[in-house]
Amino acid sequence: MDLYLSTRHEGDRTVIEVGGEIDVYTAPKLREQLVDLVNQGRYHLVVDMEAVDFLDSTGLGVLVGGLKRVRAHDGSLRLVCTQERILKIFRITGLTKVFPIHQSVEEAISATD
Amino acid sequence: MLSPDDFVEVSIPADGAYLSVLRTATAGLAARLDFTLDEIEDLRIAVDEACAMLLQHNVPHTSLTCRFDLAPAELAITVSAPTADGKAPAKDTFAWTVLTALAGQVEASAGGPDNLVAITMVKQRGGAETTAA
Repeated sequence: MDLYLSTRHEGDRTVIEVGGEIDVYTAPKLREQLVDLVNQGRYHLVVDMEAVDFLDSTGLGVLVGGLKRVRAHDGSLRLVCTQERILKIFRITGLTKVFPIHQSVEEAISATD
Repeated sequence: MLSPDDFVEVSIPADGAYLSVLRTATAGLAARLDFTLDEIEDLRIAVDEACAMLLQHNVPHTSLTCRFDLAPAELAITVSAPTADGKAPAKDTFAWTVLTALAGQVEASAGGPDNLVAITMVKQRGGAETTAA
């Protein structure tokens, strides 16, 4: 099992679809993608985690790092996640209060607050 | 048939690329002990977090060992590896927070030959936590 990433632009928003397993081995690939997007001037990111099978704290660290980067440019990083087992990890670490978490990509793209 | 003192030991290169193998082994053994799907998922993540902590300070070309002690309604898992600094894992991290939230009882020990650091977790089936004897 590996990590799969696919990126598309929707206006000033960029949607990153993530699939597979995010762990200590694969997380650097996600970090690299987020850093690249910010370097390209994409500051409003939507990370779609609906196809993620596994997430650990290494993955959380990468997402927090991404959030810091976009915030430095007054940007945003929104998550799309409805999987209970993934949401549990965000809850345990208190990160549900840090990331806006949406039910769908459409909802995340149209969110403004 | 599982015997009360059965154990399984898995040794992998101390490299993150092999953690998915340990997660799969963990899920397989927990399933044999009739843990629920949620408990199996918790254990998979807990083992992964414990190993990831040890790998942060790993010594190249060494092994990470994971021992599973199987009891009828309990799975005790100890992961250990030689580390560069021989220090027990920091407890103010996301990794430790996730590990302790999911695994039930968790203990870390450090020291001994090769700066070995070990993390032991004990998970009861059905969510029943162990009470002090």
